[in-house]
Amino acid sequence: MNNVWGSMAQYDVINWPWPIAVYLFLAGASAGSIIIALLVKWNRHDKEVATIWDAMVKAGALISPLTIIVGLILLILDLGKPLSFYWLLISYNFESVMTLGVIALFLYTPLSLVFTALIFEDVIKKNALLSIIYPVVNYVKSYSKYAKKIEYVLFFLALIVGAYTGFLLSANMSIPMWNSPILPILFLASGISAGIAGNILVGMLFFKSSINKESIKYLLMLDLRVIMLEIPLLCLLFIGMFYSGGAAKVSAMQALSVGNWALVFWVGVIAVGLVAPVVIALTALKNHDYKVKFILFNSIVVLIGVILLRFYIVYAGQIFTGAI
Amino acid sequence: MKKKFRMIHDENLCIGCQACSVACRSENDVPDNVFRMQVQIETKGIFPDLKMNMQRHSCVMCEDAPCVTVCPTGASFQTKDGLVQIDHRLCVSCKYCVVACPYDARFMNPITKNIEKCTFCYSNRVSKGLEPACVTVCPTDALVFGDINDTTSEVYKKAKESNLLYPKANLGTKPKVAFVPNKKGVSYE
Repeated sequence: MNNVWGSMAQYDVINWPWPIAVYLFLAGASAGSIIIALLVKWNRHDKEVATIWDAMVKAGALISPLTIIVGLILLILDLGKPLSFYWLLISYNFESVMTLGVIALFLYTPLSLVFTALIFEDVIKKNALLSIIYPVVNYVKSYSKYAKKIEYVLFFLALIVGAYTGFLLSANMSIPMWNSPILPILFLASGISAGIAGNILVGMLFFKSSINKESIKYLLMLDLRVIMLEIPLLCLLFIGMFYSGGAAKVSAMQALSVGNWALVFWVGVIAVGLVAPVVIALTALKNHDYKVKFILFNSIVVLIGVILLRFYIVYAGQIFTGAI
Repeated sequence: MKKKFRMIHDENLCIGCQACSVACRSENDVPDNVFRMQVQIETKGIFPDLKMNMQRHSCVMCEDAPCVTVCPTGASFQTKDGLVQIDHRLCVSCKYCVVACPYDARFMNPITKNIEKCTFCYSNRVSKGLEPACVTVCPTDALVFGDINDTTSEVYKKAKESNLLYPKANLGTKPKVAFVPNKKGVSYE
């Protein structure tokens, strides 16, 4: 169309594209994996000998810093002016959810690295390359009497990192699907779900020797509960949009019925991400059987569902704004 | 007294000529294919009973501006007079403000990668006592701009004699750009 007034292209831009969706997933998975690692460390270690770390704790300590660092790199590269990102660290606006997120990440990221360094202390000491940083680890270790307190702080920060991504989106009044108080809880819940799946996957693949079957069962049970929570949360998100009426109602109807994003939602998010794990839990893994193949398969479908949820919310939110 | 700027777009006087858009482009160095402001034209009705609506599409200078709230670095800010401006030095182009704006007023400049929008020509004209470029060129005086606290101003008179509406008033963002709704055409909606 050749409008008298000129091009409409600037209004159709997806301003927050795939790196944001991937970041939202990685931040959720990072927070979730450390939350799960800490829960296992606190609750599942009563009978353990202190020298043997549970595979779940190791997996969490590995996933958490890696995912958040990759996520932050993506986030910086997605800026229109990536080289000026340092302004985010020196110029604050405490009304902005993004600023609050930056502060949380500024504390969370190094602390998750400290946690990793302590869990993998022996590996770092023995490895030819990594042993260069051993003096740092040793220095950190000298504060080990505060370890428990630091773990509590890390746990709290992980809750913030897991939820703030939801607040980041929900602060937008212009996008009905984002402008919902459900989003932070939904993101935290699905982040924890991704954390469980990621820890189980990495634990089973890399730390087989220290796998504790009881921990896995505990986590699978926890994951089922989280997923059972996610389903009503997703329903609430759309019911809220329906009852808001106007643009929000139009947005909800389009997002659930139009084109490939509706397909992503029904097949990817609902069928693969939420229904499949429930079915697996009720059939193959009934009575918390320990079947490695099914557990791995379960973890993979959960992760796919969580990634697609972030993609769906980011894209469908920006495409279906309900504007007439 | 503190200045209280208003821009009024009278949709009955507007002829959709886009002189305002061209003036904005040349005054503010706006690159091709992006726009700080446009007057979008919508045709309604069935031939021969047609009606054309002219709607200004630009930043409306909210008093409670979502773009200022969400900006993580303070690059989006309000002047003492309540005009929303962007400090390009602080802006990292995270596009949070572009996403947050309910009026679709912001965009990323494809050349400088800065976030841009209508500024009411604040730094280049209004702060020097001139009117915004779009207002000066409007051939039908459909655009009126000024300090509404000044009872001798054109904008004060216009506001007094017209029934002003504010775009998306239900959002509570308190815009400073008002419009006089179109009463011409088939239906007098």
